[in-house]
Amino acid sequence: MTSIARSSLLRQLAAARSATQQNVIAKAARATAFHTTARRDILPPLPQRVDGTVNDPAPVPPTSPSHGSYHWTFDRLVAGSLIPLTVAPFAAGSLNPTLDALLCATILIHSHTGFQNIIVDYVPAYRMPRARKLFIWGLNAATAVVGLALYEFETSDVGITEAVKRIWTA
Amino acid sequence: MIAQRAGTTALRRVAGKPNAFFTANVSRLGRTQTLSTTQTRLVATQKLTADDETALLAKQRLHRPVSPHLDVYDKQQTWFGGSIWMRFTGAAFSGSLYTFSAAYLVAPLAGWHLESASLAAAFGALPFVAKGALKFLAAWPFAFHAVNGVRHLLFDYGVGFGRRTIVKTGWYVWGASMVGGLYLAFFL
Repeated sequence: MTSIARSSLLRQLAAARSATQQNVIAKAARATAFHTTARRDILPPLPQRVDGTVNDPAPVPPTSPSHGSYHWTFDRLVAGSLIPLTVAPFAAGSLNPTLDALLCATILIHSHTGFQNIIVDYVPAYRMPRARKLFIWGLNAATAVVGLALYEFETSDVGITEAVKRIWTA
Repeated sequence: MIAQRAGTTALRRVAGKPNAFFTANVSRLGRTQTLSTTQTRLVATQKLTADDETALLAKQRLHRPVSPHLDVYDKQQTWFGGSIWMRFTGAAFSGSLYTFSAAYLVAPLAGWHLESASLAAAFGALPFVAKGALKFLAAWPFAFHAVNGVRHLLFDYGVGFGRRTIVKTGWYVWGASMVGGLYLAFFL
């Protein structure tokens, strides 16, 4: 069958190549062989493993509302409550200590969940379980430290909004 | 085998053997060349155990392109999209807050002065241009995160989630945050 399809004309056609073409091809082949720099991907994939056998379907993770829908709603409530807390000092000039503490606490929660989102997105647990644990607990520790520092700042200094105002108008 | 080497091998094969893809010089059709008619097969089969198969699959997966590959998308979405800049600005602010807070706790031990009074005095001593630049550097991300945050909360209610609307409001957010940032930095 192949011998019929491949007529001698086609073969001749295939064989016909101009000198320039041959030259270019030969040069390209030679040049590429001498490329000594390795290809560098921006984000090379991490070492991978296969759980079970090659033909197993991807596992469906168990549902968890406290990590899913409840968490999502809570995130939005925190983000939404930041709007009036942010607008208020612009309208009133500054916040009273209670509202300022509330603003600090809300910003802290908002930052914490924001960093969590970033870690969850870029440090997948199925591929880097140990790094994920390290990052999440590192974040928890950092948030605790920042909470303590904000408490210090609120109680022994003038408060976040007043401090920003003083620096801004300095 | 890396892609470059694969390309080289293919090129060498092309350069060394006649094939049907180089047909530019039709005028030379008349000239006959002797051709080899024997077929060569460069593929060999080999028996693999289940473990070998798994290892091979894992190895092949390493050659997959990483998804999402940013180059294939529209620049407007990936480079100027409100979504990623929301994350950049938020992470920058929260990162600054975390860094400052940790430094504030360490300050008494390290002998730094990070109280609001000394910070305000230090900032006040800067020339006007530096003050304006620093203020804008803080005010623009603040304005962007605030305006775009409202947009994202509206998205969550399903408002303004059409494709064209997303693109349009994305540009509005850039404009509004620039104006807002300039106002906060120089007129407040």
